[in-house]
Amino acid sequence: MGSSHHLLVFLMFLHYAVGFTNNCVKILPDSSSSIVVEVGKNFTATCHLLEGCAYTSDDIEWRLGNDSIAKQSYHRINETSVSVTINISSDMNAWLKCTAPKESLSYKPKIIYGIFLRAGYPPLKPKNLSCIAVQEDKDISPNLNCSWDPGSRNPLIDTTYTVYANVPGTVLTHKADCKQHLARFCVVNLETFPIHMVLKVWVEVKNALGSERSELQSDSTYFVKPNPPLNVQVLTEDKFPTSLMVTWKHPIDRTILKLSYAIRYRKVTSNVWIEVPESFTRGYIESFRLQSLEPYTQYVVQMRCIGESNSSYWSNWSPSVTESTTEAKPASAPDLWRIIQPTSNSRNVTLIWKAPVKANGKIRFYNLSINQNNEKFESHNITADNLSQMYSMELPAGKMASIEITAYNSAGESPKATLSIPRSDKEFPGVKDMSWSVRDEKLQVKWTAVLPLPHPLKLSEYLLEWVKIPQSVHQKELPAGWQRVPKNVTVTTLNADLEKFKRYNISVYPIYKYQSGHVWHFQPGRPVTRPAYVQQGPPKEGPTVTVTKSKKNSAELTWEEIPLDSQQGFIIHYTIFYAIGNTKQWKSETVGPNVHSYVLTDLASETDYVVYVMASTEAGSVKGTDCTFKTMKYGDGEVEVIVVVVCLSFLFLTVFIIMICLRKREVIKKLLWPQVPDPSDSSIAHWSPDFPIKADLPKEDVSVVEVDVFDGKSLCEEDKGVLPLKKDKYLSEEHSSGIGGSSCMSSPRHSVSDSDEGDSGQTTSSTVQYSTVLGSGYKGQTPSHQPPAFARSESTQPLLDCEEHPDHLNESQSRSSYFRRGRELEPGVLAPECDGGSLTFCPVQEEEPSPVAEEPPASALCYMPQKSGYRPQ
Amino acid sequence: MVCLSQRSQAKFRMILAILILIAVELVHPTVSCKNETCSQLLRHSLRLTRLMSKRTTELLETYKTSQDFADLICDMQMDNVPVSTVSGQTISQRILSVYTHLKEFLPHMKTVMEQQKDLNPPTNPVAEGLNRMITHVRHIAVRVNCILEILQPNIPIPEPAESPTGIPHAQNIFQQKAYGCIVLTRLQELLSQAVQEQKSLKKGKMCRKSTKNGS
Repeated sequence: MGSSHHLLVFLMFLHYAVGFTNNCVKILPDSSSSIVVEVGKNFTATCHLLEGCAYTSDDIEWRLGNDSIAKQSYHRINETSVSVTINISSDMNAWLKCTAPKESLSYKPKIIYGIFLRAGYPPLKPKNLSCIAVQEDKDISPNLNCSWDPGSRNPLIDTTYTVYANVPGTVLTHKADCKQHLARFCVVNLETFPIHMVLKVWVEVKNALGSERSELQSDSTYFVKPNPPLNVQVLTEDKFPTSLMVTWKHPIDRTILKLSYAIRYRKVTSNVWIEVPESFTRGYIESFRLQSLEPYTQYVVQMRCIGESNSSYWSNWSPSVTESTTEAKPASAPDLWRIIQPTSNSRNVTLIWKAPVKANGKIRFYNLSINQNNEKFESHNITADNLSQMYSMELPAGKMASIEITAYNSAGESPKATLSIPRSDKEFPGVKDMSWSVRDEKLQVKWTAVLPLPHPLKLSEYLLEWVKIPQSVHQKELPAGWQRVPKNVTVTTLNADLEKFKRYNISVYPIYKYQSGHVWHFQPGRPVTRPAYVQQGPPKEGPTVTVTKSKKNSAELTWEEIPLDSQQGFIIHYTIFYAIGNTKQWKSETVGPNVHSYVLTDLASETDYVVYVMASTEAGSVKGTDCTFKTMKYGDGEVEVIVVVVCLSFLFLTVFIIMICLRKREVIKKLLWPQVPDPSDSSIAHWSPDFPIKADLPKEDVSVVEVDVFDGKSLCEEDKGVLPLKKDKYLSEEHSSGIGGSSCMSSPRHSVSDSDEGDSGQTTSSTVQYSTVLGSGYKGQTPSHQPPAFARSESTQPLLDCEEHPDHLNESQSRSSYFRRGRELEPGVLAPECDGGSLTFCPVQEEEPSPVAEEPPASALCYMPQKSGYRPQ
Repeated sequence: MVCLSQRSQAKFRMILAILILIAVELVHPTVSCKNETCSQLLRHSLRLTRLMSKRTTELLETYKTSQDFADLICDMQMDNVPVSTVSGQTISQRILSVYTHLKEFLPHMKTVMEQQKDLNPPTNPVAEGLNRMITHVRHIAVRVNCILEILQPNIPIPEPAESPTGIPHAQNIFQQKAYGCIVLTRLQELLSQAVQEQKSLKKGKMCRKSTKNGS
């Protein structure tokens, strides 16, 4: 038993010794949980080596997280203790460890001990603590809504906010824990709100680094927020057009909270509230009369309440109540104006007016009275139901008019408005240097006053008029708007809702007044007018361009001015863009706003061009429609020049040819009309005198003789000797040469002998045998050495009788038109022969007095065509 | 040593005086009274008493309506319920009487409230009203206590013991209802008298006198 006891004690000691060895280090301060440390402060920890530990303080190493702490921060206290001091930063949430590293091959066990550091801030004192208990039904809610400003600093550690409430003198304290992080509000339930007691409220904020508290103590009514006054009503009073009666009910019993009230009101048309001074409504009252209001005006009224002497919070404003004051008679005159449009011999005056500014009721009608030349002209009652309050009249140019107008409502009559319209030639001077500008989307007009004024004129005010251009034909509103400004003002802003992108004519009229008798007359001076836009925009549409003239290298473009409605601004310039076909290589030309046609130059000839015109305002540009045109091939006069040149050339050529022909006519004649053998030189010609020329020949005995020309020799000459020799043979053998069937005739002909055999004996003596000289060398194609062939006619009629019967020459010429082909024979060659009494061929153109025909030889040399086919024998 | 002891004694006296002052302030029941002037105190006290008198009247009406009670029952004699009569020759004595009676009524009001909770559903308006009334009566007592402090600053205010009501638990329902009505009726009478007493105080220039006295 004793030995076992010793063994047990030994084992326990051993266990303790081993355990002690493993846990022989400790850090102070120590905690089972984290140690909260304040950011920015120094924190010192001490590492203690317990007895029996194999290490000394020199072996100790401090680590923060995984980082070793510099040795300079160590403070060795003794052999077993060493401390470290570190500065706490906001992100320092880590283990602070005290350790002694185990050396290799060392028998010493590694020791380590750590504490967890959590950095944080102490709580900030809550600021601006306020608590509200709202009214619930007829009592005060026991729920106290408290709010405060916790500050912007995050404490980084768990921080609690608790609200406490207590009635001093009582033991009961109510509290509410606010669960939110960095709580800003909380509701504490008091079970019963302590009416007419002092209430103490405080909020306490706590964390591991400290606590703070904000306190509020006041009479409990200080925390109350009542409901707005109940049943707020606004009542009108018939006899008092400038007052309204307001009544209400207390929202809470005076024994709980005695209230005072606040009333505010505004016109329906205004956003500005007018508050009744609190001193007027301080008492515990339930009605109040609002005074000095405007008649016939709708007012909005609201109320709220607060504990007397401002002992509580203000309630919310009550719902708005709207009521109108009753009518009073108009307090101001209607605003009268006129528009004068001169006609041929008169003036068309349109009177326009606005209701009185202080109408104090609904205007029922207007009384308009017109005097011309100081005599009453007409008077009208015009109902005010018309949308357009206007009246038109004719006023002769030489007459002046005075107009008076009065407005009426149910309560009475307004002051009178007067306006004078002078004779056309008696207008008063206008202002100078009028200009306008846009400011805050409004038109600001500036002008210079006319000084000095002629006596007895006095400047009363200025009137600014604006008229939309172009005017709508069917407009229902007044044709013009106007506003009056005091006489000492020369710059003003038009308080009109002018439309954007619309042109207006702005006119400034000085309104003069002068006294005539005891009556003041008001008369406008001459207006100064400028067009204006309150806002310009790019034109709605671009100009449509047309090409009016297209030439070889230029084109004239024309475009219409954009309609005023579509301009939307002042056109500052037009830009003409043009390009060849589809090349898109645009060229541009910029022209002024008043230019509506332009000539494009330096264009390529016979080329397609695309052109458009872009109109620009200061706000933008809009292009018009494309137009395509083609330039001409020839320029102006080019065609004419060419035609003239060609014609002249042709003329010269013709003349030249004619000249050549005239000069070389012999050659040409020879070329065209080779020399025909002169029959006078032929042997046949010698026969001719043997037969009477005027013998009657049967018409059927006509033979056509075709004479071929041999080169250089006339038939007459060659056959002089041959023909007589063959005469008998021809006659006896009765062979016809077949002249009639020769190839030169259009139809074969019988010879005289063939066709009329029965008359052969009768005609033998009188028949002249015509021989046709047939040669293949006609027209110079036949060589001269070829023997000529003859064809013989047995006609008894001589070929030509001009030798023996020159008086018959003309006749024979007219009849021998078939013999055209001998016409151009050389007259010089044949003329002597014809003159010598030999037979001749006469040309057919006896009518043409050509120079050639005028020559006698020529006529003798021509062949006569045989019109009748025969000649009388 | 002597010098040190003298210095120590001086310090000790000063600290002791402060500690005594703190102790007195802590234990003094009228510590809240100093937060308000006399006139404020009297005004608030009068308003609160008047309000509670009105509320008690309303609550009594509600009670009678809900219990279907006749006035006769509410006026009958019941020994254990405090009387509403304010006694005393001087104004201070009568105010003290008011204060004492208010304190006496509190346990009875609690009993009635508990009985009403048992008798009727939790939403019973009488029970809710009674709950609020208890709080307000306590507050009136605090106010009256402050008035007494002003009226007789040198005389300690006797605090009535929180004694049991003496009402037997074995009351039947009718007895409970009658008891509740009697308590409310007498409380209403007490509050009415308290209002009158405070009005007398207001007329009596209590605050002007105390102001002159330097209170």
